[in-house]
Amino acid sequence: MADAHRGIETTDPPKLGLGLGLRNVHFDHILSEWPKVDWFEAISENFMDSGGRPRHVIRQVAERYPVVLHGVSLSIGSSDPLNFSYLGKLKVLAEEVKPVWISDHLCWTGVLGMNSHDLLPLPLTEETLKHVIERVRVVQDFLERPLIVENPSSYLTFAQSTITEPDFLRRLSDETGCGLLLDVNNVYVSCFNAGTDPAAYIEAFACERVAQMHLAGHQHCGTHIIDTHDQPVRADVWELYRLAWRQTNGAATLLEWDGNIPSFAECHAEVLKAKRYMHGRFDPGRVTMPAGEGPEAVSNPVDFLVPAVMGSTVLEEA
Amino acid sequence: MSADGQPLEALQGWMMNALVFPGMTPRDEVEQVVAHSARLNGDECLAIYQRSYYLRILKCMREQFPALCHALGEELFTDFAREYLRAHPPESYTLYDLGRRFPGYLAETRPDRDAAAAHRESWIDFMIDLATFERQVFVMFDAPGHEGKPFAGAGVADNQLRLQPCFALGAYQFPVAWYYHEVRKGNDPQFPPHETSFVALVRKDYLTRTLLLSQSHYIFLTALAESGSVEHAISAVARQLAVPPDDVRQSWWAQDGIRQRWIKAGFFICAGSGQASVSGC
Repeated sequence: MADAHRGIETTDPPKLGLGLGLRNVHFDHILSEWPKVDWFEAISENFMDSGGRPRHVIRQVAERYPVVLHGVSLSIGSSDPLNFSYLGKLKVLAEEVKPVWISDHLCWTGVLGMNSHDLLPLPLTEETLKHVIERVRVVQDFLERPLIVENPSSYLTFAQSTITEPDFLRRLSDETGCGLLLDVNNVYVSCFNAGTDPAAYIEAFACERVAQMHLAGHQHCGTHIIDTHDQPVRADVWELYRLAWRQTNGAATLLEWDGNIPSFAECHAEVLKAKRYMHGRFDPGRVTMPAGEGPEAVSNPVDFLVPAVMGSTVLEEA
Repeated sequence: MSADGQPLEALQGWMMNALVFPGMTPRDEVEQVVAHSARLNGDECLAIYQRSYYLRILKCMREQFPALCHALGEELFTDFAREYLRAHPPESYTLYDLGRRFPGYLAETRPDRDAAAAHRESWIDFMIDLATFERQVFVMFDAPGHEGKPFAGAGVADNQLRLQPCFALGAYQFPVAWYYHEVRKGNDPQFPPHETSFVALVRKDYLTRTLLLSQSHYIFLTALAESGSVEHAISAVARQLAVPPDDVRQSWWAQDGIRQRWIKAGFFICAGSGQASVSGC
């Protein structure tokens, strides 16, 4: 029974503070400096199959910091069967690193045996809700822990959708006991693209179920915004974070920086800016939707998951 | 069909097809499925996903084959990779699998594949060789290895020596390892002429070492990998190269010989498991 998992972490999740994504380019710095960061989020797929250095690194990191596992390939909304080989590896990894929680996205990544390596949008209908509820229950039973589900960034909505995303996630959480990950940048991006109010989105969100929040940078392309994770958090998103921080009662907050990744110190300084937005009255007037401009960039970048293997090779005489 | 519209399975199949084969979905069909956004019509919204799909995975392909990308130039490499991904859309949840079928695809689709070997384009052979080598190097990075456990030392008897798990051999028509490492150094090497090369890849301390081998070394290690026996390996070299077994044995055991060098490079662990200490097996 899936609801048996309710209440383990989702009703009173630990307030982990301000964390960073565990990225390949920062491994050497982290292992040599052991920086004073509150916690790390590791991309599950970057470690679950690893027999090499990434697995070695996450074991050491997990001994010293709280770690959560964040997936990009669970494909909870796909009409393909759940991948139990994937889930098995995820469970083994979780047993090793003992994450505070495991999260993934409200999306699908592929179908018919193909994988887009993107976080694709779902039609938000009663049929989809029933489908996702069933699959979240199966996943939670398999992993023996609640799943934390994130709102994705989206660039389209389906004509057949009948449920708003906050309502969909609230009902999903009600039915399965899953927790929620509120990505504040995704709220801003999706709402700009859909022409809806991001503050109203957060007001409607089941913030009492939020275990974690995400922050990230985005690329404004004029007619739409792309979720690029390749630059600092925009001012409007920070303002929105002020509301989200209050509504979630200070949920664990993590900065995602996945493209043009700067030094660890710069990433850390960026997430520490969140402290400026933990107090003070939220003024919706400060969350603007300005017209922007700029070249289109790749959404949901994944190339940071591909290790720079060439740098770990050497030619020797036999 | 649900009351909301087409079933989820059909909708997802439709969208996946639209990502892999952009331009094949009629606009009026898109407009029925995808709602207008605040500023874009449904076709323009879908196009954001279509553009990002290829840009995203092509960037990953370039990062998995940096030397081949250098050899071909980014534009031509991207053309090949795009056609590959169109023919073989990603199947796995892991990006590490993305380039698995690329060397085979290049070999299968070469335009001169039906020509006699002597009439084939040399640069295509080189490209396939280099892709094969780069894929192997990429796999080595995260394959199960022997770090954290003892490797075999010089005192280990031959009948206890086994190749370690993160080890691979390759035979190529071109000096692809040389080319790869020239690119790694930031150089711009010329396409090398045809020259058979033999390579061992071995990972120790999470560093993948490329070792250039002689033909006899390659025969030896291939036989050792197949049989697990040094004596079989010595016999194989003697038989294939028509040399006395004692000469091979002498070369194996010589001061600063291959046995000593390969043990130092981390080729070997002790038979049974990785748990035995160096001195204990």
